[in-house]
Amino acid sequence: MGTLELLNYYVIPGIVLGSIYALGAVGITLVFAILRYAHLAHGDLATLGAFLGLAVVTAFGLPPLVALPVAMIGTAAVAVGIDKVFYEHLRERPKIVTVMASLGIALMVRSVVQVIWGVDSESYVRGIVRPEDYFGLRIKDREIYTVLFMIVLVGVLQLFLSKSKWGKAMRAMSDNPNLALLSGIDNRKVVMLTWIIAGALCAAAGVFLGINTELKSMMGWHMLLPMFAAAILGGVGRVEGAVLGGLIVGIAEEMSVLVLPSEYKAGMAFAILLIMLLVRPTGLLRGKVL
Amino acid sequence: MTALLSMSAVTGGYGDTDILENVSMHVDHNEIVVIVGPNGAGKSTAMKAVFGLLNVRGGSIVFDGDDITKWVPNRIVQRGICYVPQVDNIFREMSIHENLEMGAFLKTGDLSASYDRVYELFPDLKERRKTLAGSLSGGQRQMVAMGRALMLDPKLLLLDEPTAGLSPRYMEQIFQICRDVRDTGVAILLVEQHAKQALAFADRGYVLASGQNRHEGSGADLLADREVAEMFLGG
Repeated sequence: MGTLELLNYYVIPGIVLGSIYALGAVGITLVFAILRYAHLAHGDLATLGAFLGLAVVTAFGLPPLVALPVAMIGTAAVAVGIDKVFYEHLRERPKIVTVMASLGIALMVRSVVQVIWGVDSESYVRGIVRPEDYFGLRIKDREIYTVLFMIVLVGVLQLFLSKSKWGKAMRAMSDNPNLALLSGIDNRKVVMLTWIIAGALCAAAGVFLGINTELKSMMGWHMLLPMFAAAILGGVGRVEGAVLGGLIVGIAEEMSVLVLPSEYKAGMAFAILLIMLLVRPTGLLRGKVL
Repeated sequence: MTALLSMSAVTGGYGDTDILENVSMHVDHNEIVVIVGPNGAGKSTAMKAVFGLLNVRGGSIVFDGDDITKWVPNRIVQRGICYVPQVDNIFREMSIHENLEMGAFLKTGDLSASYDRVYELFPDLKERRKTLAGSLSGGQRQMVAMGRALMLDPKLLLLDEPTAGLSPRYMEQIFQICRDVRDTGVAILLVEQHAKQALAFADRGYVLASGQNRHEGSGADLLADREVAEMFLGG
């Protein structure tokens, strides 16, 4: 097999899929770092985001990229609401209680999606898109802007975390929660900010998955494991690590087809997750130990 | 003049068990006061009581005219008391400068005067302001921790064993910085494991044992006291 073929059929789709995982993994890693629990409803929030986008697309006849900001804002609001109604009351309990609650939330969110939009596959735009040829590399426009948007969104987040007062407060809360409280940092505001960011990025992951494949009520749930694998691979609490992890998991899944039957593609994320936890639980970029 | 801080007959502890029994002490303006005593004497606990981290069941704590006995830490910080815990007292993955910025989180407006003041006290930190705090040595970390607490211009600084695990050279340096801080008008209450050295440098001291007051006096007097020497200072 030639290099071009390898790139066209495995690496490029892997980078696109990895960018989508990265958007979700960044949210997972932030929730992990600040609230200290695994948020299992993350995938289904992405599904909700994708379908909110669909609602805008069908109602106003807008392209999905224009619907993206609406989906992001809507999902962020839902994430903040879920935290206020459910997770906030469990804050003092052992973390496993919240983890289990988030599994319940995942089922609830999915059911809401199924009640409103049904269980059939949907898509933003009908018809077949042909890839363009770039010196032998065959890339679709939507693949280019998926990767570009991921880079821009994560870049803006990094700027926020490193330059703004509240971004630094988030890092402080992740670094040393007790000292953050002693310094007078308002825990509730940091938690709310975390959900706004995680929810918005989650919706972006869902919308881009919908743009590149199709919309299904289980789409987010199936992304949950790869997103967790990406967050842990990169190092929990590391935004740049989550991106790196997402890309590695995405490319590994696509490449696995070369040696394994394609039904085992989803197993790749699981294998990566397992190996990382055994060999280097702090992740590639030295995140927190779980 | 009334004392800046006075604890009167404070009884309390964590949960339902009392650790402190009728502990009374005071700190005047521009004074360094040290609490010494054997392990488990309730030294740190007494300090945490001031900062609202304890269930105080009896007695009162008055700071600068306000009864702060039942206040939460956040409110106490805003009133002018800053606390440096013994461990985990810095943001490791943030730069020195960001640590100071987080210390001043509650402050609005221009922070440059506060930065200048802290960097003047700790010139070493100024040179390395972009360095991650977690990569510093123990002594420098302690300086970052104190600097963070000083960013809010407190009237009283609480230090929990600031010299724990430090070499004698750094210990002297930290004590010297404490004097410099005091000379800028900030009173200091600290808990110390190194009783001899601490009593020699502090203005006054309290000896606690089993959660009760045992002795109090100027550092020199306590050092000269035979009973104190035998009990806690290893003869």
